Amino acid sequence: MTRAFLSGMWLHVVQFSRNPFDLSGVFVWPILYASIAYYLLDAKNDPKLLLSASLGAAVMLMWSLVVIGSSNALENQRWLGTLELLVAAPVPFAVVIAPICVASGVVGGYGIAATLLWGRLLYGVPLTIAHPFAFAVAVPACMLAIGMLGLVMASTFVLYRAAFSLGIALQYPVWIATGLLVPLSTLPAFVHQIGWFLGPYWGFRAIRAATLGSAPWQYIGMCVVVSAGYLVVGAACLRAFVHVARARGSLKLT
Amino acid sequence: MNSLRVFFVGGLVSYRALFNWINPWVFVPQTLGYPIFEILFFAYLGRFADVQSDKFFLIGNAFMAIAMTGFFGMGNAIGGERRSQTLATLLASPANRFALFLGRAVPSILTGLVVSATAFTVCSVILRVHFHASELAGLVVAALFSSFACTSFGLCLGALGLRGRSVSLFADTIGGSMLLVSGANVPFDRLPGAVQAVGRLLPLTHGIAAGRKLGAGASLGSVSGLLGTEALVGATYLVLGVVMLRVLEYQGRRAATLETF
Repeated sequence: MTRAFLSGMWLHVVQFSRNPFDLSGVFVWPILYASIAYYLLDAKNDPKLLLSASLGAAVMLMWSLVVIGSSNALENQRWLGTLELLVAAPVPFAVVIAPICVASGVVGGYGIAATLLWGRLLYGVPLTIAHPFAFAVAVPACMLAIGMLGLVMASTFVLYRAAFSLGIALQYPVWIATGLLVPLSTLPAFVHQIGWFLGPYWGFRAIRAATLGSAPWQYIGMCVVVSAGYLVVGAACLRAFVHVARARGSLKLT
Repeated sequence: MNSLRVFFVGGLVSYRALFNWINPWVFVPQTLGYPIFEILFFAYLGRFADVQSDKFFLIGNAFMAIAMTGFFGMGNAIGGERRSQTLATLLASPANRFALFLGRAVPSILTGLVVSATAFTVCSVILRVHFHASELAGLVVAALFSSFACTSFGLCLGALGLRGRSVSLFADTIGGSMLLVSGANVPFDRLPGAVQAVGRLLPLTHGIAAGRKLGAGASLGSVSGLLGTEALVGATYLVLGVVMLRVLEYQGRRAATLETF
């Protein structure tokens, strides 16, 4: 299973890097988010706020890549006629799907670097990391938490043929609920607790705490906890939804 | 006459096919959810940053919803055929290409206008932003101009689908760039000169500027220059798109890339 996971992840990273149109998004989105954050938040004249916004923009990109990448990859499998073969394979389906989600998160790791670098070079956003070791742990923890949330989402994509569109629609609600760029205090009260259940909420806080100098380890721990939770829920949902899709005979429908 | 038949019948069949397989319980939240949450996201970001009013973000992002359907509608018109492996068959037919693909895109664009109007209404209520009837009428006019310009630009993006795959993702990236470049979410005068220069050559920029003035009570006459420029930008991309369709189809045939997937 480890081999299936690692080779699957490598395959999807390579596949992702083959298409210039896919890559255009990876190059453009970090620049875009960092620029919007800068031009809007520069008015506050607070360097820490700008750095926090750059990190938020980077995590936004990571979530987008995971949710769009996993939905697109699943839809591609469906269109290529390989989804049924993957379901029929003796390896658990979760081990086939999880690498797709985590691979998108890994590509999102580039997004973090690009967003921070763009902010530093073009807008002079200060880039000082208070706890470099914690930061080095927080980034993969964030990738894992977001990738595993993508796994839960991917289970529903097995059921629906419009997976790609559904993936696109899930970007903004998660950005809002996790307070990546807009502080939760400015949102209605009922939104505040939704983020606790979402990986980007803990991943962003872990990276931000490691960068700005507050306590990051509790957030990193929460990333691990929610990732484990997502794995359990995602695997169970995948099993259930694959069963439903097989019963309906809808796996092959494009 | 045959081109008109291709446009209407082809477009209608394509649209019916879309609704034949999309579950309404998925279609409605995903088409309405995206623009509604986009408007709310930027409106709350604007509130936090103390930059502009809710009206600014509401109008800018409602226009963005129109742009996205223009880009995606045309992008998918060709990309969808490639995906279904029907592109080569379609291009083997003698049908007028413009009528063929525009017929597939127009229903999506009309859906986009309805979605944009619905998202605008819902978010106006949530954000408690009020408009007079005359302001709303002006916004509709500006939206139609922008829809034309964005569809024309989408034709250029769609034509790229004759040479490459994943044009939808590319259209998404271009659409995302418009969040910044068109001034939808950042006041245009805050952007660097080079970005402003690019923005002026793209659809939506002048339409949004006109929409914001009309939404603030300006008369149609006072924004005629902006609307005229938006129409001119749209017409230019329309001509470019038709040329690209012809050239890239020819190149696609020569390079045998029409069926790559």
